[in-house]
Amino acid sequence: MNFQFNERDELFRQKVRQRLAEMLPDDIRDRHRRILSSASNLADQRVWFAMLDAEGWSVPAWPIEHGGTDWSPLQRFIFEDEMYAADAPEFNWIGSHMVGPVLYTFGSPAQCERHLPSIRNGSAMWAQGFSETGAGSDLASLRTQARLDGDNYVVNGAKIWTSGAFEADWLFCLVKTDTSGKPQRGVSCLLIDLKTPGITIRRIRHLSNEAHLCEVFFDDVVVPAENLVGEEGKGWSYAKFLLDHERTSSSFIFWIKRELARTRELGQTLLRNGRPAIEDPQWARRLAIAAAEIEAHEWSVLRVLSVEPSEYPITARASALKVKGSELQQTITGLQVDLMGDHSLRDYGEDQHPPSTDPNWPDVIQGRTSRALMARASTIYGGALQIQKNLLAKLALGL
Amino acid sequence: MDFHLGEMQQLIVDTARRLVEAETGLDQWRGRREFADGIDKKLWDSMAELGWMGLAVPEDAGGLGGSMEDVALLMIELGKGIVTEPIVSTAILAAHVLDRTLAGDSRQAWLERIATGSVRIALAQTDPDAEGLQPLSARATSGGYVLEGHKFMVLDAPSADHLILLAQMDGTPALFLSDAKSAAIHAVDYPLIDGSRASDLSITGLNLPAEALLASGEEALSVVESALDRARVALVAQSVGAMDATVRISADYARERQQFGQAIGKFQAIQHLAADMFVAANQARSALYAALGPIGAEASVQGRATSVAKVVSGLSGQTVSRNGIQIHGGYGVTDEYAVSHYYRRLLVLEKQYGGIDVHAGILAAGEMRS
Repeated sequence: MNFQFNERDELFRQKVRQRLAEMLPDDIRDRHRRILSSASNLADQRVWFAMLDAEGWSVPAWPIEHGGTDWSPLQRFIFEDEMYAADAPEFNWIGSHMVGPVLYTFGSPAQCERHLPSIRNGSAMWAQGFSETGAGSDLASLRTQARLDGDNYVVNGAKIWTSGAFEADWLFCLVKTDTSGKPQRGVSCLLIDLKTPGITIRRIRHLSNEAHLCEVFFDDVVVPAENLVGEEGKGWSYAKFLLDHERTSSSFIFWIKRELARTRELGQTLLRNGRPAIEDPQWARRLAIAAAEIEAHEWSVLRVLSVEPSEYPITARASALKVKGSELQQTITGLQVDLMGDHSLRDYGEDQHPPSTDPNWPDVIQGRTSRALMARASTIYGGALQIQKNLLAKLALGL
Repeated sequence: MDFHLGEMQQLIVDTARRLVEAETGLDQWRGRREFADGIDKKLWDSMAELGWMGLAVPEDAGGLGGSMEDVALLMIELGKGIVTEPIVSTAILAAHVLDRTLAGDSRQAWLERIATGSVRIALAQTDPDAEGLQPLSARATSGGYVLEGHKFMVLDAPSADHLILLAQMDGTPALFLSDAKSAAIHAVDYPLIDGSRASDLSITGLNLPAEALLASGEEALSVVESALDRARVALVAQSVGAMDATVRISADYARERQQFGQAIGKFQAIQHLAADMFVAANQARSALYAALGPIGAEASVQGRATSVAKVVSGLSGQTVSRNGIQIHGGYGVTDEYAVSHYYRRLLVLEKQYGGIDVHAGILAAGEMRS
């Protein structure tokens, strides 16, 4: 047992930090720091991932033959940690962390050739079509149908909570190809070009005022049969593979750490009775406890990444990461709102503001409340908190 | 970074599991209040024979020279068995203080006695916070020192044959080693809720020879703080073990207990209580690792990490032990069910050497300075 990053990993961290600082354009970093929405600016994402791709760093988790790296899980952890700390745009997670791995594991050579390069260099952005109005936590009851007709599938139905579909290029979509038998059995994965005729996209305005979630309607949408991933009816097992493949990203550890840093910045910037708010002991105590929980959460992630031996299945421990991570997203952003007090109430709208020169409204305030409002969804998406707890009780405790 | 056990670590864990299995359990816990001085002599001797009193003692002084990771692994297993015998007082606190403050033959002799389990030493570091009770003070005499005053809740003092006393001398701290059974030391002994024992000490005219002074000034404080940080890590590790056991027995109970025609574990309300316990126990183990990472780093870094671990394991322990009782229903509040013993032990482990509030305060002060 040993609980230190070794010298090689520390050097790796230094190298990554320095290179990211050299590479990340000032204007992108600045926009990303002051961003109001919870999603990164898509144009910036495209530019940034093209730059990372040129460095060979845009999809570190992929195998080398597909343009990935030979980094260890711990080094990939360090890389993502540094990406967030640098205020770089975030991954297009659906593309880099879901579609990519599914395609190079189950997809055809033609699909890999067509899609992997464009995911890698940021030219194709992906959205995920899983949930439906009647299939939220109970995903197996999805109803969007794909009927094989010659060389094409004809898709009818609707998806909801499809993040970023209005500006994405492609949709990674779960559809029913067989409505007989067990619900899970007839589910398949289709890759759908979002410019295909018959697709209508409606943006849904959030409580934070941005409109990033979407509804996607399919009306006799013709999708070439070659866009089926793997085999018909295996969609459910591919979705399960994804969950297994991405054990730690649902921890949101880097996001939470970045918000912790911003909370400290708020505490030093905002004044209470003329003194920095951080000097209020009551507030410092709340921050200290949150920071302690976050530090422990980070170790939970490292334990899963390193596949610590345990009497409990790794799936249960990954699920615990999701539970804690979703709660901590709410804790840390909720703390920011409390710290800001009246300052938290201003509605900044949707559009990016220029750097602030108003002493009443330092830049660090912008975007904090909208982040806190959207963090209410962290215990809902990707399997609601209650579903996660059911799962944990079953997997870990045999209940 | 490596979370796999080494060969010696696996041996420690396996041996500890066997011992805990064989010599602890509900009957032993319930009988503990009848043990003189709170010690199960048989268990103490077994642990000493296995060399555990010397686990943290350097090899050159007859110990096993184990790392803090090794100590933590042992402590996790002892936590599962609610072992309250004073291994932390003697083998962690006293061993560290004496290792750092003694030299040559006397260091060798004392550490060997600790490592073989032939001596028990309690650390008296807390002054009473009560009106009319003078904190312990020392003054130099021609042949040595004389000590007067009070110490509060000296853990494991009733079973100790020696004491390490923290006193004020000429306005600075000083550490002394004393026989525990001197007529100048009046002890009020009492049990704690987990069956372990402590004493309040009233000391009047305790004469100690010159060599009884272990350290003074900054050195005395730094030795005590670093010993306490190790003890805190050991306690956090015990709490991790106690939480793991509480999660397990509560899930077992939920699978067995039938109400409304089915196992209560089939109810989501119970499942969610249990899931929260699992997540909390997992978080506590992570907090322990956070404290083990910077062992040997500078004191402020180690101190902060220890406070993080005390806070997180304390909060987690509350969730685990409270939900554990709730799942057990009425039986959970009886002495006859293991969960109530874990509850009491977790409360003790949280509070000793600074509870959630104390360590959250330390961390908060750090945030305010940053």
